[in-house]
Amino acid sequence: MLIKDDIITIFVPAAAEYVDLARLTLYGVASKMGFSFEEIEDMKVALSEACNNAVLHAYGDLPEGTTFSAPDEQPRVEIRFIKRADSLSIVVKDDGSSFDAAAVARNAESLHGKAVHELEAGGLGLYLMQALMDQVEVSSGSGTQVMMTKRLSKSGEWA
Amino acid sequence: MKSPDKFYLRTENQEGRCTVFLNGELDLETASQMRAAMSTLVELSDRELVLNLRDLRYIDSTGIGILVSVVRARHAKSAPFLVEAIPPNIRKLFDMTGISPFLSGSSPSSN
Repeated sequence: MLIKDDIITIFVPAAAEYVDLARLTLYGVASKMGFSFEEIEDMKVALSEACNNAVLHAYGDLPEGTTFSAPDEQPRVEIRFIKRADSLSIVVKDDGSSFDAAAVARNAESLHGKAVHELEAGGLGLYLMQALMDQVEVSSGSGTQVMMTKRLSKSGEWA
Repeated sequence: MKSPDKFYLRTENQEGRCTVFLNGELDLETASQMRAAMSTLVELSDRELVLNLRDLRYIDSTGIGILVSVVRARHAKSAPFLVEAIPPNIRKLFDMTGISPFLSGSSPSSN
């Protein structure tokens, strides 16, 4: 392939107050590419869900005898936007506790058809990511990586 | 770091009805603020609890999770709860996740 993908990468501290910064960056990247307002809204939620997970798992389950307050390095989240001619992929990567993200992804579940007492919020984040993006891949090793892709619709052109 | 107007809520009490107007972005950062406010409001079982989302610009599964807790708490008390003035982008997420039928005031199932 001759044309290289353009990649924009940002690192943010793994903290809730930086998730909206990720959303703002996405807005800039996606609107420049020509995504519609609704598509950008979809991606904002999907990206936030991935960032939420990264923030919530950043400190992980601490080994016996270690303290929460003194990590060598402040945990951070890497967010990578991969621009292609016809799609945008967003990679969210953390070095947090490697929970079995793939298993969680398989159990992503909505509230459809449930009774009130069966309602649970767990799994909704991944469910939304899958519903809002065209493709979502979750992998875990040392940390977790989520890669999600949205295709650029050609509504303004003659296909 | 959080700007003071990123998210706030305003409560209006009328006879038999408590309306909470949500404004701004309800996400992981502002969730604790919402949770704290709702923890006392859900206890008001002598009146209808209404969330007005007209000025809510953003919500994700963190906020929807709080709504799930409110639905469950109100149902346990047999106390009325409904969500009104839902913007289209938020309505879409409610429909996708399947929470919509639980927000209309009439319980979708009695169990």
